[in-house]
Amino acid sequence: MLTSCTADPRGADRPAGAGGERLEVAAATPSDADTRHDWFVDRAAAVGLDFVHFNGMSGELYFPEMIPPGVGLFDFDNDGDLDAYLVQSAMLGDDKTLDDAVFRWTGSSPPRGRLFRNDLQKGTGGSETLRFTDVTEASGIDARGYGMGAAVGDIDNDGWLDLYLTYLGRNRLFQNRGDGTFRDVSTASGTDDPGWGVSASFLDYDRDGWLDLYVGNYVQYDLAADVRCARLTGERLYCGPEAYLPQSDRLFRNRGDGTFDDVTTRALLSPQVGPALGVSTADFDGDGWIDIYVANDQTENLLWRNQQDGTFVDSAMLSGAAVSVDGEPEGSMGVDAADADNDGDVDLVMTHVPGEGHNLYINLGAGFFEDHSAASRLHAATLGYTGWGTAWFDYDNDGWLDVLAVNGAFRQVPSQAGDPFPYGERNLLLRNTGDGRLRDVTDQAGAVFDLVEVSRGAAFGDIDNDGDVDVLVSNVNGAPRLLVNNVGQDSHWLGVRLVGAEAPRDMVGARVEVTRPDQPTLWRRARADGSYATANDPRVHVGLGDSDVTPTVRVIWPNGRSEQWAEVEIDRWMTLTEGTGAAP
Amino acid sequence: MKAVVALTAGGLLWAAACVEPRDATPPLPDARVLRAPDTAGLEPVPVPDLSTMSESVQRGLRERIEKLRESLSSASPPEETLADRYGDVATVLLAARYFSESEQYFLNAHTLTPMDRRWPYYLGHVYRNVGPLDEAARFFEQANQLQPNDSATLIWLGEVYLAQGRHDGAAALFERVTAREPASAAAWFGAGRAALAGGDRAQATAALEESLLREPTATAVHYPLAMAYRGLGDLERAEAHLARQGDVAPRPVDPLMSALGDLLESPEVYSSRGRSALAAGNWPGAADLFDKGLAMAPADPFLRYGFGFALMRMGDAGGAEAAFRRAIQTSPRHVEAYYTLAEVLDGTGRPVEAVATLRLALEYTPGHVAARTKLAGILGRTGAPEEALQEFARTLELAPANAEAAFGYAMNLVRVDRFQAARDALAEAVQSFPDPTPFRLALARLLAAAPDARVRDGRRALEMAEDLLESAPGLALGETLAMALAELGRFADATQVQRDVVAAAQQARLDDTVVRRMTENLSLYEGEQACRRPFGADEMP
Repeated sequence: MLTSCTADPRGADRPAGAGGERLEVAAATPSDADTRHDWFVDRAAAVGLDFVHFNGMSGELYFPEMIPPGVGLFDFDNDGDLDAYLVQSAMLGDDKTLDDAVFRWTGSSPPRGRLFRNDLQKGTGGSETLRFTDVTEASGIDARGYGMGAAVGDIDNDGWLDLYLTYLGRNRLFQNRGDGTFRDVSTASGTDDPGWGVSASFLDYDRDGWLDLYVGNYVQYDLAADVRCARLTGERLYCGPEAYLPQSDRLFRNRGDGTFDDVTTRALLSPQVGPALGVSTADFDGDGWIDIYVANDQTENLLWRNQQDGTFVDSAMLSGAAVSVDGEPEGSMGVDAADADNDGDVDLVMTHVPGEGHNLYINLGAGFFEDHSAASRLHAATLGYTGWGTAWFDYDNDGWLDVLAVNGAFRQVPSQAGDPFPYGERNLLLRNTGDGRLRDVTDQAGAVFDLVEVSRGAAFGDIDNDGDVDVLVSNVNGAPRLLVNNVGQDSHWLGVRLVGAEAPRDMVGARVEVTRPDQPTLWRRARADGSYATANDPRVHVGLGDSDVTPTVRVIWPNGRSEQWAEVEIDRWMTLTEGTGAAP
Repeated sequence: MKAVVALTAGGLLWAAACVEPRDATPPLPDARVLRAPDTAGLEPVPVPDLSTMSESVQRGLRERIEKLRESLSSASPPEETLADRYGDVATVLLAARYFSESEQYFLNAHTLTPMDRRWPYYLGHVYRNVGPLDEAARFFEQANQLQPNDSATLIWLGEVYLAQGRHDGAAALFERVTAREPASAAAWFGAGRAALAGGDRAQATAALEESLLREPTATAVHYPLAMAYRGLGDLERAEAHLARQGDVAPRPVDPLMSALGDLLESPEVYSSRGRSALAAGNWPGAADLFDKGLAMAPADPFLRYGFGFALMRMGDAGGAEAAFRRAIQTSPRHVEAYYTLAEVLDGTGRPVEAVATLRLALEYTPGHVAARTKLAGILGRTGAPEEALQEFARTLELAPANAEAAFGYAMNLVRVDRFQAARDALAEAVQSFPDPTPFRLALARLLAAAPDARVRDGRRALEMAEDLLESAPGLALGETLAMALAELGRFADATQVQRDVVAAAQQARLDDTVVRRMTENLSLYEGEQACRRPFGADEMP
């Protein structure tokens, strides 16, 4: 039963595609003079990230329109700095053309995902010049279709990061040739799952040295059977996942020969199938084997505990991380795992929809969690928001992991009535005060946090290699924001890239223990997954606060072996290669 | 709005999204707001876009908005009347869960009649849902000052304190209520969760058990209770409560919130209430609600489907079938309607039609696990076990942990005399599934009585059956024991066990065919012969 659509805003000031010849512009980023004291400054436009996401909406309120896009940060050319991949979507509807789009696309057709190479230059005196160049054409990545998210991992252990893209439809794997180009190996690899993939993660779950792949699938969706949803008044709105059947996630085991084996039926033993949106892999129960946490939309989340025999069993309910403190399934979009309370295990942060508040699950050890959302004040600070990408990161390098959550509604925001795309929300920055609380410091963080946009993905990494963590944010039907961190570099930090011996790749899943005399021990880990539909910097960044004492760094590699390095230099990025350390 | 700046990059104009800071939202056109006279000290209220709403809702809201407009235009409207007019619009918006839209209406009403408890009470609920929680607390506190010790107010204020992390304050409030109203399940529920938040798990279990005692159907109590037991180290109790957890929370008697229930009438409201009634097992209530919705929107396939579902549960197969067929007519890809129609057809002895219906559903949604499992089950029962095997196999690809499909697959292997494969499938399932009992029992049967001697293993069958004595006692296990004993040549023991089974079956007045089968097996054992038919027709899925 259709109700009337909102007014046709065609011709309204909305973004064009990359390379498009548009239009009036409203750059909301203030001039440099205004932002010099801001903790974060958006520099996307200034550094050449010329991209606008296109969700192909035509006024039909098709369910997929509000789910993408994710975003990726990864060093594809191995020059030591993070490059960017921006996910693109497409026109939706077999009977629709670009002319039917609510927000006109004027870029090159069809819309495609873009790869931007970071041409960071370090000048004398430590200054940096950050500049991105669109190298999509040269890269060979022809990413059309309704893109959702990105994941990165070195699938062939050749030292070059490969790129996996999730879609509404067939996912795609692009193998990095190491010469600036990529080869589409989707079919050959067997990872071209045809479901609705959103977040994905590369992990070595069986400790055989090869990165396997977990794909979180959302719902069984057929555009021809798109469901019309409405509020209690009859006003049409985007549906939630409950209108559709959930779709099973997939686990692909890397055979080591360029192909993957779908081991879902053999490996994932519990009956839970939920509409997955976020995936985060970590050793949640401290047994040395990597587990998988899946954020399911409006259904119990999953905690796949690695049984160390190639199989997983879900223990989310008993673990206390499946539902809210009151036992209710929640929105569960973005998720990340890290040691928020500096007690050595990994805790979880997760974003939800308005009325739920985002969640903080504190790990009590052995994979049991306690909900600290209310006690930490995270719940109160986020109650009115629709959260997506999120992660733990130490923005001020004080040694405590903070949270950034990017937000964007999927129900029209009443105060934006009349806006052609009335779904904007502010993003939030919450500072870990070290006493179990997360304090909302958004208002102090800078003008970029005054922006009201429809954000989804958030990729975290040190883009300018100055020692603090920056954030690349993707927006629905909008340009990305590159939040360059201006404050972290005022404190000391440790930055390590962990590289394997036999496989010269980033050793995602490795854990890092940082010890200094008279200072608390800090635990961090190498990961590229987490947040929402996003690929993050796999390097390990540790804030050290005011202390300039050089730490001892112990690395526990994914295979369980550990070694350590004494007096590791701080305030610069280092590489620690497996086998070059000492026995602990 | 921030300064508009044109940026260039490589000679091309680049556009950023047009965005505005939240605090500088431009004022809505006059038609979209209602303003009070300047002297009134009231803020303008936004008029919702009624054109997006269903007719009945439009009518109701329009009337209320017009009355408010009338009052605002009159010379000196009495404050109470004006407050009521604001409140009339606000309560409909709140009933529709338009929290932000209702906010300023309530605030104006509160400004006009600050001693009227309704307005701070409703504002507490608005802010409880969308924040800020400090405002929710403030307004519930005000409501409490205006009418001290109202249980609903205290409980909701306690809930807000809990959400703010103020578990001590929350505990004190819930305690006040339980002291005066020990029967309040909602207050005990809050007290238990406050104790849990404060780390007192023993107190938490005590309070939550009290809540459950007073309202056993409040399934939401089980989750925090499970967490409390987990914290005390009692994992068995924790798991037991987790298995029963649901989303029905104990709520206080709340006349003001209950009054909202009748304010809104739309097909969507009836659909929502109908679904709630279905979830609560209130089939006649659900049917009535869906019927009311259909009176307003006869072509709505979801209302029609809900109506059919309720009728089906009430035993009205004919009515249900008609409703599902009509839903499919309107919405040919309504997979749930096909699936449930197939249930009705199968249940009324029309498996062929059920199969056709399910196949159609699966054309639209190949991943519908329940439909495929059902299809497989019907095929197996109706003489097409090979097709059943294919469908069960496909189901397991989609949902590897689907126990029904795994069991059906194994049993259909038995149907086609592939006993070794059936044994292997059951053995794998015993290892893989969290509740392996049905698989264990079936495996024991097969080992005891399979026609294929390569599969039979009487000793192992007996071991497995004896292991199941505690967890799965019953006639099926008794038969299994007898089969295993007979396979081992212990016919006297087998006879004794089977006699007990037959006697129990007769006492329970089981179907004659079942008793006959059991009696035939007894005859075998009395004649010192083993059984070679592991499963009766009544035992096959």
